[in-house]
Amino acid sequence: MSELRLEGKDLPVSRTTTLGNRTGSWKYIRPVYHDRVAPCNQKCPVGIDIEAYLNLLREDRLEEAVDLLLRENPIPAITGRVCDHPCETACNRRELDGAVAIHAVERMLGDQALTRRVAASPVTQREQIGVVGSGPAGLACAYHRNRLGYAVTVFEAADEPGGMLRLGIPEFRLPRAVLDRQLEQLRELGIKFVCGTRIGKDLDWSLLASFDVVFIGTGAHLARPLGLAGEDHPAVRQGLEFLQEVNAGGRPDVGRKVIVIGGGNTAMDCARTARRLGAEVTVAYRRTREEMPAIREEIADAEREGITLEFLVAPVGFGDDSEGVVDIVFERMVLGEPDASGRRAPVPTGARFEHAVDLVLLATGESASLEALPPSVQVYRGSIAADRLGATAEGRYFSGGDVAGHDRTGAHALGAGKRAAIGIDRPLRAQRASAASPEAVPAELAALSLGPQGNLSMTRWRHDDPVRRVAPVDEVVSPELLNLTHFEPAERHADHKPNGAAATTFAEVNLGLTRNEALAEAKRCFNCGVCNGCELCLIYCADVAIRRATGAYRFEIDLEYCKGCGVCAEECPRGAISMTREGL
Amino acid sequence: MSQIMIKDALQQRELMTSGHLACPGCGGALAMRMVLKELGERTIVTMPACCWSVIAGPYPTASVQVPVYHTAFETGAAVASGIRAALDMRGDTDTTVMVWAGDGGTFDIGLQALSGAAERNENILYVCYDNEAYMNTGIQRSSATPWGAWTTTTPVAQPQANPKKDIMAIMAAHRIPYAATATPAYPTDLVAKVRRAKSVRGTRFLHILAPCPPGWKYADERSMELARLAVRARIFPMLEVEDGQHWRFTMDHPGDPVEPYVRAQGRFRHLDDAQIALVQERVDARWTELLGRVMN
Ligand SMILES: Cc1cc2nc3c(=O)[nH]c(=O)nc-3n(C[C@H](O)[C@H](O)[C@H](O)COP(=O)(O)OP(=O)(O)OC[C@H]3O[C@@H](n4cnc5c(N)ncnc54)[C@H](O)[C@@H]3O)c2cc1C
Ligand code: SF4
Ligand code: SF4
Ligand code: SF4
Repeated sequence: MSELRLEGKDLPVSRTTTLGNRTGSWKYIRPVYHDRVAPCNQKCPVGIDIEAYLNLLREDRLEEAVDLLLRENPIPAITGRVCDHPCETACNRRELDGAVAIHAVERMLGDQALTRRVAASPVTQREQIGVVGSGPAGLACAYHRNRLGYAVTVFEAADEPGGMLRLGIPEFRLPRAVLDRQLEQLRELGIKFVCGTRIGKDLDWSLLASFDVVFIGTGAHLARPLGLAGEDHPAVRQGLEFLQEVNAGGRPDVGRKVIVIGGGNTAMDCARTARRLGAEVTVAYRRTREEMPAIREEIADAEREGITLEFLVAPVGFGDDSEGVVDIVFERMVLGEPDASGRRAPVPTGARFEHAVDLVLLATGESASLEALPPSVQVYRGSIAADRLGATAEGRYFSGGDVAGHDRTGAHALGAGKRAAIGIDRPLRAQRASAASPEAVPAELAALSLGPQGNLSMTRWRHDDPVRRVAPVDEVVSPELLNLTHFEPAERHADHKPNGAAATTFAEVNLGLTRNEALAEAKRCFNCGVCNGCELCLIYCADVAIRRATGAYRFEIDLEYCKGCGVCAEECPRGAISMTREGL
Repeated sequence: MSQIMIKDALQQRELMTSGHLACPGCGGALAMRMVLKELGERTIVTMPACCWSVIAGPYPTASVQVPVYHTAFETGAAVASGIRAALDMRGDTDTTVMVWAGDGGTFDIGLQALSGAAERNENILYVCYDNEAYMNTGIQRSSATPWGAWTTTTPVAQPQANPKKDIMAIMAAHRIPYAATATPAYPTDLVAKVRRAKSVRGTRFLHILAPCPPGWKYADERSMELARLAVRARIFPMLEVEDGQHWRFTMDHPGDPVEPYVRAQGRFRHLDDAQIALVQERVDARWTELLGRVMN
């Protein structure tokens, strides 16, 4: 461009940029990008990177989302149906308009995974792994060992694998087709199942000597009698045994009136199963609705199906009536001080009354299956004594799940099985590392956990996270770190959709979300703590100091010019930027 | 989609460079960046004295990559009218001529030139980035300074005693084809208004609220939050006015209390509860008045 002249004189024109002016020197604090931990991730007992798969779904990368889920959870179609979803309880979206229906999204992804053809995992290691018990704990251990390259054999006492998923949970909550297909895929992976073999009875523990490591996940199946007079009456049955009979295809006569004692999932399942067999059912629980350990949706379904809940009542004895009818004597309770479980304890009032019923189902909890353990495995307070990685005092034996005293849910059992898989791998990997192959053995378990209280991540153990991670910090994203301004309200899809039919068949009750609904639901996720490339930071930088980058991370901050105003960190919707004085 | 995905809404081009001299967290600097993104390269700016006279860079540097004419305080709109005429003579009707003025150069010193240009319906875009005082000369009050605010010329003993001038009503009274309010805190709304303005012929007026950390006295990182609080509390409603007659809101104004906005700023620190209640009353009264216009 030619110079501007006026009346023979040059006009002053600025032609260079201001880039020579390093305004970065003004700052005393600077922004840094880093991943924090989403609260849902920390709360999932399985240890699933929920945030990451929801983000993949947001980007319409469905198959990759399924892959990511399968890295941590061997049976998502099952947890997507029966898990009590503590992840949702922790979800930050509650602060705006209701938790993301993570559970329902997981179910959709799980069903998607069921349609896949599965190739056998290559066996690359020579150690043989034995697993005793095919409930979620054993399945998770077997699955992860298999994916790490080990030959795995699972021994199961029952005729078919699945543990409580098959023996306890009824079909109307977990269709057998889903369970069977999920197990078929585990077989396709190359896991060997030996069923109808109770170790310690049908086969001695010593015969497992050829296995380098044995995982014990035998669950909690032992009936715990109430110790009340008349309990041996033929019309008083163990609820779990009743469920097993019906789940195996039996249709016992339950009569007209049934009372179920208990307030957990077993009680709800017993009640709903008896209802389907034609009875009028009452659930009697000694505390109140708030203290019920059963999954909320199941309680709601039970009530919808016409089951009566009676609170603050406890059985004190059973009397014989005519013609197989049993008289159950109750005592009225009140709530007292909190007990060891933190729930308010029922206190007897002395007031008693009676009911005459055709069947009483006891669903007050089972004890760990410790009846046939190898002698070297130690028991502590009714459970196998094992550390966080499942190791028992005897190095060859690992354990997890109900039998090892973990919280009694499928998700916790899956989490424990995974931890044990890592625990088994640790010494083996260390051995291999010393044999000149430089395989890293993360010493610090903290580096593997999804937040300070989260479960361990198999992905981190394997060092092959497909998601880009930026300077991850082990801090869970609290709602205060988010900037909710940048989210528009979007109503939660009700993830529990009862089919509306009368409780007469064993068809699945909860219809779940359609694929499109689930995909829309996934887009409600804030992606707490992890940059999803929304570019708000970039657009809000008055100093044009944030730029797109192609390297390890999506953005780079040009510290030569960043003045340290902190607007980017303040505005980032998900707490993926912090201000620090470090390095200045 | 529950999250606003800004990256799909804004142009990627960048016509402002780093190294400019705005204070950290400056709302006015960010406003320029967003406006230029939407206007593009074919833009000529006239700039009467204001913070931006400094931000644009000392000679021989420039922080924006379009031609800028620094003008005398009162002449922003007049110089723009001249440039427009020259471009028209050359047959260039595409280039946008934009006045970029602060509140002093708009509400006070440049008002007659602006009024003249608007009355002639000059084909220019006039943007006032309003930080509510003469900030770069050391925070002196202007007629855009809100009631009750401290400035160096309205000290705590005698804070600003007059209400903020209603510049939108003044511009509407000129019956110009398009006038709107905006703030960089709502980037999609802002660029949509720039796009609208760019597509209209005649005088277009944008009134942009530009929070100023040193002048308003708040922590730098809260700039966008303050602008949002002002909008949500109906202190600075988001509007469009067509032909001076058709007023409409471009977003919801939930009517949050003014108090958090006021309390967040050191320039209002001296206000007691009763005075804040008075601010609320004034805001409510203006809102009622505005509703009357929007309904018409
Ligand atoms: C009725 C009912 C409903 C439930 N509903 C839910 C729910 O909705 N959501 C949820 O998260 N959790 C639910 N639970 C709890 C959940 O099922 C258990 O916490 C979980 O299955 C425990 O897994 P596990 O692998 O430790 O043991 P299990 O699932 O009990 O599996 C142990 C397996 O080991 C086998 N076994 C035992 N001893 C031997 C031996 N010596 N040799 C070979 N095999 C042996 C058993 O036959 C069994 O198959 C429910 C439980 C019940 C009883
Ligand atoms: S397994 Fe349970 S806790 Fe984990 S993500 Fe799925 S629903 Fe949530
Ligand atoms: S919003 Fe998303 S990332 Fe955040 S807690 Fe909920 S599901 Fe997890
Ligand atoms: S504002 Fe958006 S792009 Fe920037 S760090 Fe946060 S999530 Fe990533």
